[in-house]
Amino acid sequence: MKALQITKYGDIKDSLVFNEVNKPTIQANDVLIEVKAAAINPIDKSIILGNLQGLIPIPFPSTSAYDVSGIIVEKGAEVNNFEIGDLVYSRVPQEQMGTIAEYVAVTSMAVSKKPGNISFEEAASLPLAGLTALQSLAHVGIKENDVVLIHAGSGGVGSFAIQYAKAKGAYVYTTTSTTNVEWVKALGADQVIDYKKEDYKTIVKNADIVFDTLGKNYTSEAFEVIKKGGKIVSVVGPLDEESAKMFGMADYKLPEELAKLVDAKEASYKFIFMHPNGAHLGEIKSMVEDEKIKPIIDKVYPFSESVEAFAHLATGRAKGKIVIKIN
Amino acid sequence: MKELIKKIKSDQNLSQGAEAYLFSISKEKTFSKGEVLIRQGENVNKIYFVTDGCIRSYCIDKNGKEHTLQFAIKNWWISDYIAIHNDESATLTVECLKESSVIEFNAKELNKMFALFPEYEYFQRKLLERHVVSLHKRILNQLQLTASERYDLFLKQYPDIEQHARNYHIASYLGITQESLSRIRVEKSKK
Repeated sequence: MKALQITKYGDIKDSLVFNEVNKPTIQANDVLIEVKAAAINPIDKSIILGNLQGLIPIPFPSTSAYDVSGIIVEKGAEVNNFEIGDLVYSRVPQEQMGTIAEYVAVTSMAVSKKPGNISFEEAASLPLAGLTALQSLAHVGIKENDVVLIHAGSGGVGSFAIQYAKAKGAYVYTTTSTTNVEWVKALGADQVIDYKKEDYKTIVKNADIVFDTLGKNYTSEAFEVIKKGGKIVSVVGPLDEESAKMFGMADYKLPEELAKLVDAKEASYKFIFMHPNGAHLGEIKSMVEDEKIKPIIDKVYPFSESVEAFAHLATGRAKGKIVIKIN
Repeated sequence: MKELIKKIKSDQNLSQGAEAYLFSISKEKTFSKGEVLIRQGENVNKIYFVTDGCIRSYCIDKNGKEHTLQFAIKNWWISDYIAIHNDESATLTVECLKESSVIEFNAKELNKMFALFPEYEYFQRKLLERHVVSLHKRILNQLQLTASERYDLFLKQYPDIEQHARNYHIASYLGITQESLSRIRVEKSKK
């Protein structure tokens, strides 16, 4: 079968190659998905560039990407929650990475039936960004009337998070650049802050939750805008101690500056490392079918133009997700 | 099964032999919510008479989107007649929207009824006529009524369906977007 593979760390055009590879074989708990569409995310670019080789080292060659939608064509002996012919979507686990290919084998635990009211391309755009937003906001227990600040509302995670928070009845502040203000408003955000013209710290006060999708100074600044006892959840900031333990760093301590801010605001700080989860994708399926969440696609590329899709991702200017139509 | 026999007998006499044959080729079954009776792309040779519940048939287009063809509630028949008539793999998926009880028939055995018991042919012809009438009405409604009028008729036909069907099931049955369905509902709630 044809697959887009990473042959070395480095520049996108030099590192991605179409190869003819063996169709994956499945284990007892796996399903084999005939891929209809795959989507790419910033993490896919970071892996190719080698920026994550310490955390997520990959063998060469490796087929690229995690997000997929398609049809189950084979299932392992122990899979009893899916049938051959089911239309599904998934964010595949690290060890099964490789969705820009004609077939991918995935543990059934990471798979869900796709929403019935959207296309394969739209379904492929949802898993990674959707799971990141859902797992972050669900962890802090977002609820009706919570005031939440979501950074980078036009990004893949941010645009999903806005819709998810609104579906839960929260009041949503979000930040974006001038050109995206109207677009982000249309997603349902209550107040859109144009970071090129306004300082969000003077506008957002006493937030219950800050969803930090930017890191760096934004993580510490979050403590300025939350109320006493507020919650900060980050997907890019420093690890918290519990997450560090999961990565085997038993002696890790939260950076001192951050720890002081947590104490001063009697706040909670949590780092979320998105994990593949079919049940969570099932929740997203229901929300999409009820139109509480709409997939947002910037552009769909044909399989043969996958490298161009990565070049577009690298510009950082995509509004919504970049999808590759495989079959 | 008794209800189905009663229904047939309300149209015409059914011999004891025909009644016995109907019993012999049918199975009463109960399916839970979400269970798939016929799956698009697979072989199909079953026809279902619904005694309780709610079942939906739909096709999945090449982009992966579902389009609802029919909802079947108590006393309705449901299957993939295109596949059975043309002897080809299923073009539809038939799925339970809630726990549903059915009488399941093998299509070929049911067809033998015509040769074995001519009186059954009358019932079958009446059934087919009703089916054609229902399809013609659906096409004409689609051509000449507004979406709001079609929705009103739909609710008359399926009074409790909104408890079981998702919005997109209903929107795709009516041939409108989910946004349009939501708008129609809001307008009706204001009246």
